[in-house]
Amino acid sequence: MSDQTNVKLRLDNSELWGGLIGLALGLFVIWSGLKLKLGTINDPGSGYVLFYTGILMCLFAASIIIAAVTEGGPSFASRWENARWGKPVLVIVCLTAFALALEPLGFLLSAIPLMLLLLRLIDPVRWTVAIPISILAPTGMWWVLKHLLAIQLPNGMFEIG
Amino acid sequence: MDTLANVVHGLGVALLPVNLLYCFIGVFIGTLVGVLPGIGPISAMSLLLPVTLSGTPESGIIMMAGIYYGSMYGGSTTSILVNIPGEAASVVTCIDGHQMAKQGRAGPALGIAAFGSFIAGTFSLVALMLVAPSLASIAIAFGPAEYFSLMVLGLVVLTFLTQGSMAKALLMACIGVVLGLVGLDSITAQPRLTFGRIELIDGIGLVPVVMGLFGVAEVLLNTEQAIKRDIINTRITQLLPNREDWKASAGPVSRGTLLGFFLGILPGGGAVVASFASYALEKRLSKHPERFGHGAIEGVAGPEAANNSAAGGAFIPLMTLGIPPNVVMALLLGAFVIHGLQPGPLMISQNPGLFWGIVASMYIGNLMLLVLNLPMIGMWVQLLRLPYNVLFPLIILFTIIGVYCSSNNVFDVYVMIAFGVIGYFMRKLGYEPAPLVLAFVLGPMLENNLRKSLILSQGNLMTFVERPISAVCLAFAAMLLIGPLLPALRKKRELVALDEGA
Repeated sequence: MSDQTNVKLRLDNSELWGGLIGLALGLFVIWSGLKLKLGTINDPGSGYVLFYTGILMCLFAASIIIAAVTEGGPSFASRWENARWGKPVLVIVCLTAFALALEPLGFLLSAIPLMLLLLRLIDPVRWTVAIPISILAPTGMWWVLKHLLAIQLPNGMFEIG
Repeated sequence: MDTLANVVHGLGVALLPVNLLYCFIGVFIGTLVGVLPGIGPISAMSLLLPVTLSGTPESGIIMMAGIYYGSMYGGSTTSILVNIPGEAASVVTCIDGHQMAKQGRAGPALGIAAFGSFIAGTFSLVALMLVAPSLASIAIAFGPAEYFSLMVLGLVVLTFLTQGSMAKALLMACIGVVLGLVGLDSITAQPRLTFGRIELIDGIGLVPVVMGLFGVAEVLLNTEQAIKRDIINTRITQLLPNREDWKASAGPVSRGTLLGFFLGILPGGGAVVASFASYALEKRLSKHPERFGHGAIEGVAGPEAANNSAAGGAFIPLMTLGIPPNVVMALLLGAFVIHGLQPGPLMISQNPGLFWGIVASMYIGNLMLLVLNLPMIGMWVQLLRLPYNVLFPLIILFTIIGVYCSSNNVFDVYVMIAFGVIGYFMRKLGYEPAPLVLAFVLGPMLENNLRKSLILSQGNLMTFVERPISAVCLAFAAMLLIGPLLPALRKKRELVALDEGA
């Protein structure tokens, strides 16, 4: 990642977009604060702190935007330079699939494939290493939690675990 | 005399077999996460937070504290032998520690790191025992205005010390406050920012947020680049530093210990700040500053003593005021709350067994760490050979289990994944997660104290400046906020700025 790549007034300036997201969030927080009622200074309401925090967010975001416009900033491409960005995407996809399968299939039936996928897809580990680890690690954890710490993990529709 | 009686009482608690076991587990896991790059004390503590529920509060807190100061010891091993910091506080140890290892002096480097850490850890515990009870008795007089101002100061100090733009760090702190306010309003019981989701009524859990921002995000960042390790292959012999090494290290260890302790107490400070400050100080005081960066033992001894001393000092604001000075202490606060305890001025008098038991266990833990890190160094070196492509799926598995166990709810696993993605983009775009997490924990307390002080003062904002402690805190916070606008101070800030999430 090279922070030296200054790109003035361009749409792919990552600093500008970071500031704009901050500004949008700040405006949303101000709106939420107003909706929750501010109360008075003698008796602040539920939205009081939210409202003023939102204003501060907008101010800080505005200063980021101004700096991005006047001084420029690194482009998105330079932030991901030399990075294998597909790998984090794969990890996120695997994790989301695991979370979706956790309750219907149970911990063991969802964790074993997750481990196998992570061991084989990112920086592939030999099958002879990947298979034992992907079976033993979740099973070992499940056993410790269930029998030693009395913590029940989901067992799913097949009631395995 | 009172202190001595309390220490004996504390030793009685700490030496219970179950507490000794928890202490050993804590320092062992701490060393393990310190040694392994890619997983730090924050991830390990949030992972094990639910596990503390199965024991007494003493056992749980003893284990969590052990992880923290244990990781400070373990982090130096990786820095010296692999040139990759095991955790953020050991970044600076890489500079001279790895150079010493390359010159065939890995043993003395590891030795002085462990002995320096032990000396500093011991000093900070004695100071903790002497300072905490006195500070707690003063803190009873603190009102909501003082608490509010102290928390503001803590957040501002952390944002000041965070790497990169201060506006970004402040924006992160504000987002943290907002996230901390999700759920029922503690005064009016009105739901806020819950979007109709019943899971959000109690707020967003600390564990999924921390595991996402630090654990998952770290894995995502590490997987996008191939991690290269330069492990020292020669057999490590002669761990005891020689006479010259001790002579050269005595000053840095003493100065690092004192500096670390005071920086540890400061809100927003902590072990990372302390180690950098100690390195800078030693370099400045040295007659041969050109040796730094080329294997100067002072560059290992000072920072290692400072980070351990700071780890002890950081307990003071938490135990006496109930205010966590950094993210690790925020997690420890979470552990107290899970057990129905509220750290603060009354904790030492109401729960003396807990406070003195924790302090005594920290001393025992320091002794355990000396054994774990010197005679057993070979075991940790072997562990360093575990490749990251095998390690990261295990980290992911532990984080998932930790998050699920904290609430028995799949919703928290989704929250963790979401914060993992957010954390990844934050790091890529130069936004540090540490201010967000500290503000997330302090947010509800900050709001509560602000509203209470406004109600008590009938809306008089002068209450924050009329009370001396509050006024000093706010003045100092204002100075730090205005400071970076001045070019000279901005340059100084860039020199001390840290990557807390490293």
